Amino acid sequence: MRTTRLTAAALAAAAAVLGSAPMAAADTASPSPSPSGSVAAPTEAGTSFRTATALQQGQTATATASTGDYLYWMFPATAGQNATVEATVTLPDSSARHGSATWRLDVYDGLRRHQACAAGHPSRTATAAAADVSLRCTLRTVRPWSEAWANDPLPGAYYVRLTVADLPDQDLGLAVKTEILATAKDAGGAKAAGGELAAPLTPVEQAGATLDPSAEPSASPSETVSEAPASLAAPDGGWSPGWWSDRWIWTAAGGVLGALAGVGGYTLTRGDRSRRRRLQG
Amino acid sequence: MGLCALFAVLATGLFPAGAVADEPQPESPKVELVLDASGSMSTRDIDGQSRMTAAKQAFNEVLDSVPADVRLGIRTLGANYPGKSKVEGCKDTEQLYPVGQLDRTEAKTAVATLAPTGWTPIGPALRAAGKDLAGGNATRRIVLITDGEDTCAPLDPCVVARELAAEGTNLVIDTLGLASTDKMRKQLTCIAEATGGTYTTVSHKEELADRTKQLVHRAADNTVTPTATEGTSTCSTAPLLGAGVYTDRETFAEHRWYRVNVADGQELRASVSVGADRAVNNDYGVLLRAVTGDRELVRGSDAGSGRTDDISTGLRYAWPASGADTPASRTVCLELSNSFSAPAFVKTTPGLPVELTVGLVSSPDNASDVASFGLGRGWIMLAVLTLTGLLAGLLWGWLTRWRVAVWRTN
Repeated sequence: MRTTRLTAAALAAAAAVLGSAPMAAADTASPSPSPSGSVAAPTEAGTSFRTATALQQGQTATATASTGDYLYWMFPATAGQNATVEATVTLPDSSARHGSATWRLDVYDGLRRHQACAAGHPSRTATAAAADVSLRCTLRTVRPWSEAWANDPLPGAYYVRLTVADLPDQDLGLAVKTEILATAKDAGGAKAAGGELAAPLTPVEQAGATLDPSAEPSASPSETVSEAPASLAAPDGGWSPGWWSDRWIWTAAGGVLGALAGVGGYTLTRGDRSRRRRLQG
Repeated sequence: MGLCALFAVLATGLFPAGAVADEPQPESPKVELVLDASGSMSTRDIDGQSRMTAAKQAFNEVLDSVPADVRLGIRTLGANYPGKSKVEGCKDTEQLYPVGQLDRTEAKTAVATLAPTGWTPIGPALRAAGKDLAGGNATRRIVLITDGEDTCAPLDPCVVARELAAEGTNLVIDTLGLASTDKMRKQLTCIAEATGGTYTTVSHKEELADRTKQLVHRAADNTVTPTATEGTSTCSTAPLLGAGVYTDRETFAEHRWYRVNVADGQELRASVSVGADRAVNNDYGVLLRAVTGDRELVRGSDAGSGRTDDISTGLRYAWPASGADTPASRTVCLELSNSFSAPAFVKTTPGLPVELTVGLVSSPDNASDVASFGLGRGWIMLAVLTLTGLLAGLLWGWLTRWRVAVWRTN
């Protein structure tokens, strides 16, 4: 009976390991952004993709602007993150406005491809009496790799464009205050994927150089390879998503269970024999 | 988790942040403030003061806060000719302070002499301001402060603005309106839109000073100055581009081709924005294709509708490393097309502004396994592993029994 007891103990241990797996998942799902105190939050916004102001995750950036301006920011996000952008627009005094206005938040990836909002309300109409309007866009989980033909979100820069989409013409040019915050949550092991991008999709920050068209295709690529931009800092923990996910626990638990079941199966066959021996004896 | 941190350190080490520092220092930006000194500027409706007084006070504040590396000039319009002749009135624009290193006292003295006088020749003033800023490859910005629409038809200041933007590579005109008439607003928004600038309505003195300061500081932001290029209608004659940022102009329904050389083990990344710098119809789109020979490798496209400054898309495509000593290289053709359309009264030349970025990154991407390190997850996987273990155990047990039985009989 000793072996049966041992097996039961081992099974209990395995169950404990298993029980801890969902716990670990909850642990990794805690929000990762930690506002970095070293760099002051930007107080200006860019006006095009090229001049977009770089943000860090968890930083609340502000900007004053005129109604009708197209305001651009960019923030980093890496694989396994669910990024959310929140914007609040403090509208001009309602006595100066002539009707309701629709504000819109657009998110683009580092290749300037428009990204879908999986959740949130990226576009909202503010009534003529409203004092402010808040918009939110949650992106799909950032993949570590995707095929070239896919539009999946990939590690790198994400551009945010905030603008008024529809308004009475008389209200163009009135002053507004905007506030923007980009955060990211870890998507957890269920979304942990493999593969790796050559480099994060960060903006090209060098002036172009038109080459001599008669030149043979160059075999020394190093001269033309673009470098990572200085303005956009990698998210906390770097561009590389790291090796950890709760899949390690699941897989290890599977291994342990398999081994225990193997031992169990083996003892079953042995157990039969010992009983038979006792009967014979 | 210690390992995790180590990985992070390694990763940041791989992408040095200060890589751009080696590049030559860009030319210091040029800004010209264009101030309306027409007769209507004497209207007293800005915080109880005349528009001119408010503008002068705002200028003093702005001049005090101009960043050291900005070359600033001041131009007036309608400041000198008080008469009735339109021909004379429409020539009335003068450079009050030349674009260059700023002497604050001198500039302030010059501004103090201004008095509201004549006509509102915005078009000619913009054209002259464009000339003031010409030369070099610096970021250029015109800040136009006015209280009325242009009085010098048929020269449309909006057309002038678009021509100026098309001439140079990096000119932006921001407009500030000191009144709120429909006609002025339409004209100023049109000028701003044509150059990627902004339009602001000003009704208080502080607004004028703060906004102008903000715009001057914007000019000082060091961003990349794109290189002008000109795409062609076929791939074989297209310009060969290296990595970097380019600008071009593409008119409605036009196709433009560019070429990029990509070697084995490199990934091509291209993104493009086509700007809507004039009145366009409600629906629009953009398509960027990467083609080698007859084969389309990959395409990026987007479509939209409604108010916009531009529409953009991008693509990427990698070639695996060959392992040979001299990696093979091929020419990839990029074809850009747009589906903007405009009402019949809109001029189609110059074309819409295009910004194209080309990136080449080495070491192609690695698909490995779709799962993270090939690891599994979930209850079904656990059940399968357990069942497999159990079967293996039983099998092993029976095998052992069978072997022992065989050994005994022998």
